[in-house]
Amino acid sequence: MSAASNIAFEKLVRPHFDRLYRLAWRLTGQKAEAEDLFQELLIKAYGKLDDLVKIDEPGSWLSRIMYNLFIDERRRFARRRMHTVEEGEMAGDGLAGLAGTDNPARDLDRLERMKSLDSALSKLSDEHRLIVMLHDTEGYKLTEIQELMDIPVGTVKSRLHRARARLREILTESGTFS
Amino acid sequence: MQIKDLEINPDKQDQDDPELRALLKDYPMPEATAGFFDQALVRATHEGSRRQRNRWIMTGFGSAVAAGLVLWMIAGSLLTTPDLPVAEPAIPNITMTLEEPRTINLVFASAEPLDAATLTVLLPEGVEMSGFPGQREITWQTSLNTGKNLLPLKLIATSPMGGEVYATLRHDDRRRTFRLRVDVS
Repeated sequence: MSAASNIAFEKLVRPHFDRLYRLAWRLTGQKAEAEDLFQELLIKAYGKLDDLVKIDEPGSWLSRIMYNLFIDERRRFARRRMHTVEEGEMAGDGLAGLAGTDNPARDLDRLERMKSLDSALSKLSDEHRLIVMLHDTEGYKLTEIQELMDIPVGTVKSRLHRARARLREILTESGTFS
Repeated sequence: MQIKDLEINPDKQDQDDPELRALLKDYPMPEATAGFFDQALVRATHEGSRRQRNRWIMTGFGSAVAAGLVLWMIAGSLLTTPDLPVAEPAIPNITMTLEEPRTINLVFASAEPLDAATLTVLLPEGVEMSGFPGQREITWQTSLNTGKNLLPLKLIATSPMGGEVYATLRHDDRRRTFRLRVDVS
């Protein structure tokens, strides 16, 4: 493709990079896999540039492609996660996102709670974990999740409800919640 | 809270367990590697342009059948026309018999010789490769000649679960992944 195509492509996709990367990370749970998934999305999207320029909401379209890529290759990503369990724990990538404060005791408490949450999330099914993180962590609307995962909004709601209930149960068992 | 209530009143979704939602909202995420977005963009455009130049042509799996009859197929094709759209190939499927070895012919076609390409095969749980018992990820280096290259892999199903086999060929910064669905009877 031409340099003009490259410029047009960048103009269309770059505004959505942050949200797409966050989605990739929430889907895969690891930095390396998130970057891999993000890269695959861009390559695929570039091949569909003719379609992309006609899309009213490229962000949603790109998110959907990323989600489908992940579903298609979930076993590959899941395998990698099994091989790098340590990396996937909060002591790895996740801690890098914890900003410190001037209160070490509070930082430590927060770290412990995040570790517990991370462990609890890992015990949910992929669908439940993704829905609860997209809605409660990333702030996706129910209709956005419905569109992304191509499931009825009632199913999104019920899965969100069950995911929260299960999380609450696990966190109570671990002593994080009373 | 009843699920039925949620369907009637979606607003209740946001009143559900504020303590838990506060914890989830605080759940951290690391930043992407510095420069990653720019590099990803360059790779994506490079990949697209390279495809158009037809310098990297790959195919997919073939499948073999019993009794010495080899019925391999190519999931992709040698692209000779630059503007041909790239179709999404259907996932090939084979059915294996439990504990019975079966040879899968992996067929690659390349428009140019490729030295020191790396091939990684990922196997689902319950499918093993002959000579690599218990290993679900096998990686080795290989070279491809111009044209079609055949690589036979002898697989054996050790459980009835089945799943998908992934084969990823890498050369320099280029990569192709192919899938094969395995059912076990």
